Amino acid sequence: MLQDGYLMRAEKLNLRFGGVVALSNVDVVVGPSEILAVIGPNGAGKSCVLNCMNGFYRPQEGRVCFGEVDITHMRSHKIARLGVGRTFQGVQLFPGLSVIDNLLTGRHIYMKTNAVQGFIYRHWTHREEMAERRKVEEIIDFLEIKHIRHALVGSLSYGLRKRIDLGRALAMEPKLLLMDEPMAGMNLEEKEDMARFIIDIREALDIPVVIVEHDMQVVMDIADRIYVLNWGHVIAEGPPSEIKQNPDVIQAYLGEERAL
Amino acid sequence: MKSLPIDVEKNWGELPKIFDRGIETLPQLLVYQAGRFGDRVFHRKKDFGIWQRFTFKDVLDNVRQLAMGLSALGVTRGETVGLVGENEPELFWSEYASQAIGCKCVCLYPDFTPPQMEYLLNHSEAVVLICEDQEQVDKVLEIEDRLPRVHRVIYWDDKGMWKYDHPKLMTFGQVQELGRAHDRENPGWFEAEVASGKGDDMAVISYTSGTTGLPKGCIMTHTGLFDTAFRVAGTLPIRPFTQYLSYISPAWAAEQMGGLTQGLLVPFVVNFPEEPETVTRDLREIGTEAVVFTPRQWESLASLVESKMMDAGPIRRWFYRWGMSVGRMTNLARLEGRPIPPLYRLLHPLAEHLVLYPLRDNLGLQDAYYAQSGGSGMAPDVFRFFHTMGVKLRNVYGTTEMGMFTSHMGETYDLETVGMWDPVHPRFGPPLEYKLTEEGELLVRGGAGFAGYYNNPEATEKRMAGGWYHTGDALHMTDKGEMVYLDRLEDMRKLSTGHSYPPQFIENRLRFSPFIKEVMTLGDESKPFVAAMINIDIGTVGPWAEQRSIGYTTFTDLSQNARVRELIREEVAKVNYFLPAGSKVTRFFNLPKELDPDEDELTRSRKIRRSFLEQKYADFIGAVYQGREEFSAVVPVKYQDGRTGTLNATVHIVDLGPEEG
Repeated sequence: MLQDGYLMRAEKLNLRFGGVVALSNVDVVVGPSEILAVIGPNGAGKSCVLNCMNGFYRPQEGRVCFGEVDITHMRSHKIARLGVGRTFQGVQLFPGLSVIDNLLTGRHIYMKTNAVQGFIYRHWTHREEMAERRKVEEIIDFLEIKHIRHALVGSLSYGLRKRIDLGRALAMEPKLLLMDEPMAGMNLEEKEDMARFIIDIREALDIPVVIVEHDMQVVMDIADRIYVLNWGHVIAEGPPSEIKQNPDVIQAYLGEERAL
Repeated sequence: MKSLPIDVEKNWGELPKIFDRGIETLPQLLVYQAGRFGDRVFHRKKDFGIWQRFTFKDVLDNVRQLAMGLSALGVTRGETVGLVGENEPELFWSEYASQAIGCKCVCLYPDFTPPQMEYLLNHSEAVVLICEDQEQVDKVLEIEDRLPRVHRVIYWDDKGMWKYDHPKLMTFGQVQELGRAHDRENPGWFEAEVASGKGDDMAVISYTSGTTGLPKGCIMTHTGLFDTAFRVAGTLPIRPFTQYLSYISPAWAAEQMGGLTQGLLVPFVVNFPEEPETVTRDLREIGTEAVVFTPRQWESLASLVESKMMDAGPIRRWFYRWGMSVGRMTNLARLEGRPIPPLYRLLHPLAEHLVLYPLRDNLGLQDAYYAQSGGSGMAPDVFRFFHTMGVKLRNVYGTTEMGMFTSHMGETYDLETVGMWDPVHPRFGPPLEYKLTEEGELLVRGGAGFAGYYNNPEATEKRMAGGWYHTGDALHMTDKGEMVYLDRLEDMRKLSTGHSYPPQFIENRLRFSPFIKEVMTLGDESKPFVAAMINIDIGTVGPWAEQRSIGYTTFTDLSQNARVRELIREEVAKVNYFLPAGSKVTRFFNLPKELDPDEDELTRSRKIRRSFLEQKYADFIGAVYQGREEFSAVVPVKYQDGRTGTLNATVHIVDLGPEEG
């Protein structure tokens, strides 16, 4: 378990859909500066944990705290304003807008001028647009998507769209980033790029990251700590080296005898 | 030699006067120009989506701080500084700074592999390496223990470098910080150091791309750089503060002569593209007036237009074809010295408005008056294409060792040639003289001369036998005094029938097809006919196949598809039309994989490495000449991360009948 404080803490989460138990007594703690992975076989409840953390699902029992704030029953857009960013398994972008415009939508929580002011477009709106564009340009630089900044998102490859999705989450300047299957459907090169961006997010932007991921290889390479879920239970927790050796994990994932 | 169709003295204008002040080196010129143009923009670089400007003063300040910093790190006169990165202001500043304290530079291509870097850095005896970013630093640290002389590695882009902790690593900013302190303690030292530079100091060691054997380091002196910049400046009037796009790498001698020397001399506003991938957009944003590309880059720009027009609707296509046909009857006719029919004289403004200007505008070449293609030969069709739309693209020919030799001059010149002999300013040396040997090899002397290969006197002597520089190129001269480049001397090929054919000519023409990316002709003294191996361009053949509902999985699959073979066969037949009997391509096959510089199949400047390819694909080539219809083999491949694998491929060999073309 984590020694020096936490950024987010989920305690005794119990989540049921009718008779189906999705999570039972799940405890997850996210440290202030770590890459945390949640892994498990299909249907283990990985995405449910993320969805509880940002308010998409309400657990029947247990609570989720972000810092000192209890966010268990908070609406998800309010949790986002508190600083919990999130990317999705499927890409949820505006395909008809350019990359810049898509990233700017991530900045809306910081924008103070309204539609009427935007229509009149005086100096205050101009100043705000300049400042927000600058933030977006920093993200474009960070994610190395300069060559497509004016391209329509709908015309981009899947791997690039995932990167824009990540960019939009970063545009919110989150204090914690939740990523649901960031590598799903990517080729080897795209996966390597994404892995590097996740590491950079922690090291350069100092944002802790929680990833739910299928690809064991990537998880073992980049995560500091791993939770393993199976049938809604946490069956193991620890650094990658321990998880690799854990017999319960090996059994849950691969059946008997075979090592990772 | 024939008299030139241009007024050389007028073209040089005021430039020679600069040298009346005793300026001999690039840093001396930088100090002088900064005094003349202090607050005018010299370098521009796009950062965070906005073009950032650096005035002459800014550039000099940066150069000064860096030079003092290098000196504080113990770098002394005569040593070598290695540079590696994309074209960015910091790269240019680093070169001027190194030269300011009497060092020479060696520029490496940013996509060099670690072993290639190791060879060049050790051979040039570099003591400090200034590199762009994490990518380059990683490569250097990988070979660090084999670089005994390098005691500092300096980088300017710190993205991804947060966790690096290595005693040799320093940031560009830290070195400049050191430099400011060093400057305060030693006032006047920088000025004295710059002033003590001499014209025949080594400025740059430029390694030849090495289509044959290990690369050789050509010494370029300051005088040599000025000489060659003057030769080009004599051939066309260059306006001060011309918008120049610096795109080709300074690892290539052409950019040393262009962006770094001419840029400072004329001077240019030197613009750096944001990323190599954004060049076409950057070209457009800055309204480029001067640009030097390699033939491959011009060719890919031309195929880009062709393939985009292929996708356009029928009305646009009609307008495009109409506008280009008017361009051919006017712009191209003027170039080729043909009369312009009166009707087309009337139509030209309309075509210019509706088609030609918008087309140039889309490519960012609307105001380009100084457009050059340097390097190996380019198909005349590509030249015609750009002239038709109104871009006066000119060929230049020269060598890294001796600088520029010939250029297209004036308004009317023959595209099949590389132009007439450049004038040499008497300040820098005698006029260029040439002679042709019996085999057709071009020998040259004059100008500032060849300063030799670095640490390789034998090779220098061999090249300079009899006081003439041996180019190794086969050329001949037309009645009009223009030089025609045939091929590398060792590359003119004789067939077993005794017939000689020009492989480059065939390859260049084939490469102009939007569907063909690379091609190598086969056929030598043991073979009776010309054949070709072709690397299709998946970027255009892919969409072509999709439009026709031709399914494919991989490059291999696409390249061997029957309809794709038929498509390429038609392209080859078109080129055969221009060839005399005996030189026509009789058989060809599509390569099952793309040619790749990482596998040593191409050089870094994307020239094909003939003998290597002949060995690697020997089995395929054998099958072509045995008359087989198809052939299966295992091809080794190398991935970007260094892993290797194999590719099992069945290759179909295509025949062209004698009536075709």
